[in-house]
Amino acid sequence: MEDDVCIRDLEKDIGGSKAVNTLSQRVKLKNGVVETEVHMKEVHTKDDVCIRDLEKDFDGFKAVNNLSLRVKHGEIYGLLGPNGAGKTTAIRILCGLLRPSSGEIFVLDVKLPDPGVAPHVGYMPQELALYRGLTVHENLEFFGEVFGLTKQQIATREEALLKLVDLQAFRDSLIDQLSGGMRQRISLACALLHEPQLLFLDEPTVGVDPDLRASFWRYFEELRDSGITILITTHYMDEARHCDRIGFMREGRLLAEGSPQELLELTHTDSLDDAFLACCPIEGPQ
Amino acid sequence: MKVSRVFAVTKRVLRDLKNDRRTLVLIFVAPILVMTIFGVAFAGNVKDVRVVVVNNDTAAANSSLSDKIVSNFDTSVLNVAYSNSASDAIGQVQNGSAYAVIVFPSTFTQSVEARAAGQTSIPQENVTISLLADKSNVNVADAIIAAVNNAVVQTTQGQGHQPPVSVDSSNAIYGANAQFIDFFVPGIMSVAVWQLTTLLTLISFVGERTSGTLSRLLASPLKESELVAGYAVAFGAIGATQAAVLLAVGVLLFNINIVGDVLLAFGVIALLAIVSEGLGILLSNLARRETQATQFLPFIILPAFLLSGVFWPIEAIPTWLRPVCYILPPTYAVEAVRSVTLRGWGLDKISPDVVALLIFAGVFLVLATILLRRRE
Repeated sequence: MEDDVCIRDLEKDIGGSKAVNTLSQRVKLKNGVVETEVHMKEVHTKDDVCIRDLEKDFDGFKAVNNLSLRVKHGEIYGLLGPNGAGKTTAIRILCGLLRPSSGEIFVLDVKLPDPGVAPHVGYMPQELALYRGLTVHENLEFFGEVFGLTKQQIATREEALLKLVDLQAFRDSLIDQLSGGMRQRISLACALLHEPQLLFLDEPTVGVDPDLRASFWRYFEELRDSGITILITTHYMDEARHCDRIGFMREGRLLAEGSPQELLELTHTDSLDDAFLACCPIEGPQ
Repeated sequence: MKVSRVFAVTKRVLRDLKNDRRTLVLIFVAPILVMTIFGVAFAGNVKDVRVVVVNNDTAAANSSLSDKIVSNFDTSVLNVAYSNSASDAIGQVQNGSAYAVIVFPSTFTQSVEARAAGQTSIPQENVTISLLADKSNVNVADAIIAAVNNAVVQTTQGQGHQPPVSVDSSNAIYGANAQFIDFFVPGIMSVAVWQLTTLLTLISFVGERTSGTLSRLLASPLKESELVAGYAVAFGAIGATQAAVLLAVGVLLFNINIVGDVLLAFGVIALLAIVSEGLGILLSNLARRETQATQFLPFIILPAFLLSGVFWPIEAIPTWLRPVCYILPPTYAVEAVRSVTLRGWGLDKISPDVVALLIFAGVFLVLATILLRRRE
């Protein structure tokens, strides 16, 4: 039978890391049905985040327990779990705000801690993290200056970001005068101003109404499509279906991982809520 | 350290202030108000105290020494009333309408003149003016005693009786025409800047911690030292401006004496503001919320107000307590600014105070940076 597609020993090197390593694939047509046969010795896409055996101990309380995960370049990875699962602790360690008790972390191929990473990472903390007494413009300008952007760069990006979050009319309003949802959008804009390659979003949709949550996920997908890698935490299971991959966390541990579809199939459930409960029973990990 | 990032922080702090009218008022109007209240009400001189004179002196009016003494009373200090009986006069003190009773004995003029003529047999009580004062108010009592003594000295000199010894204090080395307000303004300037800067940085930094902005900044390329330095530049500038405004109001309203270089005084105040800023950031480590931060207020305000020489010189504080004065940064600023404005001293002469402030600033800023850099 003839092969319609045949790949042999394909390799693709991206920035020193092998995205495709010795991939062989044949696609055959058999009775009109596509049948694929894949021989992959080792397939790597570039990992923007790689965590190995991370532990974080707060006075005997293990907030993060033996966590290992990888976030691939250009994907939205959702870290899901109830409050207190260790998601925020993990993100704060990735941002260099907490020191891990043990384990290794690589961010953008650099082993942490390393001050060279900060300029390429955007971080939206769980708290508002804006100066309420400053205007939208003054906040954006300040964070731009902190990241070393020029006046011109700040002006261009500010305009584009305010358009993205649809708040052009509020450029000169004080943060104090904005609604909660508007503030949340400005907080996101501040995290994006310096065009980071990697975005850490800690519960960005908490306290945000359903309409705005939908538009937030639209922004995130747009950003992903433009090549930005996103690690996002949330405890809203339903919105996690927008993620490319999900990790379920409870009590500091990563208990299951996969695409939303894979997790549904694995647990024979119809919703991620049920999938989470199936993977992470309340009694704790088995 | 990157200067552009330091100035980004400075600009941020100043903008926050610009948009916050209430805090602006606090920074500039409150110290002026305090200075004015103290300057007007507490000028240091006791005035218009009612005293009752009981003049039993039987000498004729034109030759009466007691009348001359009373006429020499400083009427701005003493408000003189008369009574014929000592018991009535004492009653006035007892019911609170007067502060002292001044009693002249019946043969006063005659006895004084006899003594001056060389008669040694005159009893002492015949030449003694009894001053029965309500000494419950020390300042008032002291002022009455001084006024009466001055009048006695003036009168006896007018009579041609020269005292055997005299002291001439009319030529001053420094502060020839200094009033209490001249002494007070440098003090209140230093303490106002100390309190407001410590409080503002403390509250502002607790805000950075609770609002999450500090997390955002520490996850950015901004270094901890740049953050601390940016705050220091902002509050140094604000402190110097506060000092300038206060001094200007002092000159316009109270016509205070300034004999030295005001720019040097502003520099000292700016340095004190940087010390206070370091302390504010340090204290922010101990507060989880803004309300907790305000609990530090008495500890920041009271010791500096009472022990750094604003109202009373360090020399008036018991020696065992003085070490406390010398661990308070405002003590050095008060002393230095006073030396500049009243004595006209230059940097060379105030350098011990400046060095002390530099050491405080260095220790506080470095500690603040180290604590910010610490990761749990």
